[in-house]
Amino acid sequence: MKKPSLNVGQKNQKEVKALVLSKKTAVGIFFVGTLSSLILFLILTVDTHRQVNVLTKAQNLSEEAVQGKRVWQKYNCNDCHTILGFGGYYAPDMTKVYTRIGKEGIRQRVKNPEKVLAKSWRKMPQQNVQDKEIENLIVFLKWVSEIDTHDWPPQDSNKLPSSSIRRMIATVGISPGGALFKEKGCFGCHKIGGIGSGAGPALDGVGTKYDAETLARYIKEPAAVNPKSSMPSLSEVSKDDAEQIARFLAGIK
Amino acid sequence: MEFKSQKVAYPYFALALLLFVLQVLMGLWLAINYFVTLPQGLVDVFPFATARAMHTNLLVLWILLGFMGGTYYILPDETKSELYSTKLAYLLFVIFAVTGVVALVGFLFGWTQGKPLLEIPVPLDIVVVIGVLLFLFNVGMTMITAKRWTAIQGSLLGGLVFLAVMYLFGIPFYRNLSIDWYYWWWVIHLWVEGAWELIAAAIFAWVLIKITGVDRAVVEKWLYVEIGLFLFTGIAGTGHHYYWIGAPRYWLWVGGIFSALEPLPILLMVIDTMRHVKDRKLEIRRPMVWTYAVGGAFFHLLGAGLWGFAHTLPQINYYTHGSQVTVSHGHLAFFGAYAMLNLMVFYFAMPNLVGREDHSDCRGKFGFWTMVSSMFCLGLCFGIAGILQAYLERVLGFGYMAAQEQMRLWFMIAFFCGLGFLVGLLVTVYDLFFPKPIQEVQAKKVVAQAVA
Repeated sequence: MKKPSLNVGQKNQKEVKALVLSKKTAVGIFFVGTLSSLILFLILTVDTHRQVNVLTKAQNLSEEAVQGKRVWQKYNCNDCHTILGFGGYYAPDMTKVYTRIGKEGIRQRVKNPEKVLAKSWRKMPQQNVQDKEIENLIVFLKWVSEIDTHDWPPQDSNKLPSSSIRRMIATVGISPGGALFKEKGCFGCHKIGGIGSGAGPALDGVGTKYDAETLARYIKEPAAVNPKSSMPSLSEVSKDDAEQIARFLAGIK
Repeated sequence: MEFKSQKVAYPYFALALLLFVLQVLMGLWLAINYFVTLPQGLVDVFPFATARAMHTNLLVLWILLGFMGGTYYILPDETKSELYSTKLAYLLFVIFAVTGVVALVGFLFGWTQGKPLLEIPVPLDIVVVIGVLLFLFNVGMTMITAKRWTAIQGSLLGGLVFLAVMYLFGIPFYRNLSIDWYYWWWVIHLWVEGAWELIAAAIFAWVLIKITGVDRAVVEKWLYVEIGLFLFTGIAGTGHHYYWIGAPRYWLWVGGIFSALEPLPILLMVIDTMRHVKDRKLEIRRPMVWTYAVGGAFFHLLGAGLWGFAHTLPQINYYTHGSQVTVSHGHLAFFGAYAMLNLMVFYFAMPNLVGREDHSDCRGKFGFWTMVSSMFCLGLCFGIAGILQAYLERVLGFGYMAAQEQMRLWFMIAFFCGLGFLVGLLVTVYDLFFPKPIQEVQAKKVVAQAVA
């Protein structure tokens, strides 16, 4: 390295030191950095608490759902499955499992994993979960599926045709209800899987809101089920046809 | 070793190394779970969940034992006084060791709180809290009685208190799952990107002063800037875990912006390290400490900084959240930031503790490079699997298991990377307990020359 003459060197060093950083500035950076971030974080934490009940629909967080969360923790489900994307990555995410496979799907998998997953190359343990616990777990998972996650996870987003809609498309050729839905012109007002008109509400996931019986009544006489509905009562649709369509719609979850 | 009470560190380091080996063995078992079809009977009694709880808790336990041992080793030198109570330090070692064993055995029998990484049940949580309070008492009293305050002591004590306080947020049962995860991250994120970074930065600064002989004033000045930046980006950066949990939408902005800055303090640490290494005033006597100091700084930047940055923006995280990409980041970050830091401290302290200060570095170097390259490949395997998963499952809408089928090969390769890592680790552990005397090496050279 070249050695500059002593005087110049000392002068440079002093200048450089002044330019670089004094201890006082360093301590200042520490306090300003830490405190500003901390204050912002705490303010947003308070605000998150204010908003979270709406975002998570806490009014539906029943005692059964809370008991279901205890079941979820008791059997350490979360070290294989993720939920809201956190946990083990060994098994499917449970955020939208309720809309994906429904009550019965969950019940069967927890009760008889060895049978349901007999052909899967990855297994789920038989943990002898009691029936009451399974029912609570289902209530919990139903509540979780309604949390506003900003449309996460993408695989269950309505932007992608959901698995139940894909199944519906695969079976529509053999489903009398699906054929009737098209024949009676329901697509004229409703969308399913992005297909149809947007005049009325989209029917994706309608099966999670109503059962087949309610849907049949809805089709015949909307105001009887939902007084706010602007749907006309369809007297030309026979009772039998309405029931067929309702069964088809109830399957869209 | 100037102070007698530094010896307390030995059992902490020894147990930490043993648990590290167990952690890796459990990791290999997890990898097998990922690509082999196990019989239902085995899955029923020893499910993946149990093995994962053990793998992650072993990690936390050995890293914390390393931190505690490191603190006991550094403190007397830093305060120029013996520890306040060595008896208490030994007693706490027994308490933590027993608690750890009880927790691990408990998992086998389903005794769990059921929260990932914080599985240990409440009664054991209480033991941990009491133990940590006593540990803090011992550390604090040593500092207070010595009255030789330094920035390193401040950062160390601050980090340890911060660590203990954050642990409390993981103990209660939260009724609302979203709130549960909100505070779960107060433990996990504010540990690894807050409290642990303070402890690590303090330990790292101390080792740098020791091995380079660079002015304390310079090192400590940069320590302030580093921990200031760590906390500035790290605290509000917690928001990158709140994107999809049912929290307000502004977290996408706050988390995205602050966590995009998170690599900065690590980059500063790397530059700082390189500058101190260049300006060193002491000759290199302990090559392995140097290797881990420089290697650790770079791996920290790679695993925590770059890998974290790669999927922290909400637009990307929407597809990678909760996939194997997170697994890749987790492994590289924990190894680079904390495992290597602890190994650096072990290489600093163990030769003194076992009474062989000058030792050959050939085994240590082999262990280092084997572990580093294996871990890098492991990170790549998980990363590739994760990108496949994000594309197949989240973009194309494949079913979960259909996507996993395409990732299976990469889990198998990951297993072999893990085996390589185990080899490197075993050599390292052996080398730490029984350093090879330098005379032997020289003697061999002399013999070789004579023969020639």
